[in-house]
Amino acid sequence: MEEKELVELAKAGDRKALATLVKNHEQTVYNFSFKICRDREKAENIMQETFLSMVKHLNQFDGNSRLSTWLYRIVSNHCLMQARKEKNKYFVSLNDNDDEDSELYVDKYVADWSRIPNSVAENNELKAILDNAIDKLAPDYRLVFLLRDVEGLSTEETAQATDLSIPAVKSRLHRARAFLRKEINQAFAK
Amino acid sequence: MNIEKPKCKDVMQHICESLGEDLNSERCVAIKNHLDNCPDCKTYFDSVKITINLYKSYEVEMPTDTHKKLMNLLNLNDCE
Repeated sequence: MEEKELVELAKAGDRKALATLVKNHEQTVYNFSFKICRDREKAENIMQETFLSMVKHLNQFDGNSRLSTWLYRIVSNHCLMQARKEKNKYFVSLNDNDDEDSELYVDKYVADWSRIPNSVAENNELKAILDNAIDKLAPDYRLVFLLRDVEGLSTEETAQATDLSIPAVKSRLHRARAFLRKEINQAFAK
Repeated sequence: MNIEKPKCKDVMQHICESLGEDLNSERCVAIKNHLDNCPDCKTYFDSVKITINLYKSYEVEMPTDTHKKLMNLLNLNDCE
């Protein structure tokens, strides 16, 4: 059955259709939540909150976008709300500033990228480096990088999911990419 | 586009799209020419590509228990 049909049935109160929608998207939502918070317990909580919101507000879903895009938006909102609660957490500054910008693109030491594994599979040291790097990014930068580059949403969909303008998505994406690349470079140049 | 193995044109498209430029715009053609002749930029873009692929490869499997808890929470456990 097509997703559109399942959504209409679920809106009309068909619980089996609703359960199918949840099952079809739970892995994606869990994975995305984990990628944002890098913690299994927090990912489970965000996933639960996301599906509770989906069930509550499904009638507001107009079907003009994919359901997954709508769910990414809900996850993003929960993530941003969560971050506002963690007021004491420090994130690196990546403001629109020429001096800071140029620093992002200069490497003091250069790592041999050809020796970096191309997958994290079973490599806990590499996972820790990736976790540590993305953890320093402010939530709006992290979301833009994950939605656009990792999940493969378009610039427009990323802007919709994060409530940012398209130019803001583009500038955050550049800086987030450059920052993460620099962090990995530094870790492997040591 | 093959997401796992993007071709040069895909990468250019991505860079130009990020800049808000058409692939054949003057700026994009100039960037392409520069990239073709600049090893530093090539190294930089290759390493950005590796960075993105590393984060893409970092997937986690949802535990079965997490699925069960979710269905219980949503009162959908009888719809399995």
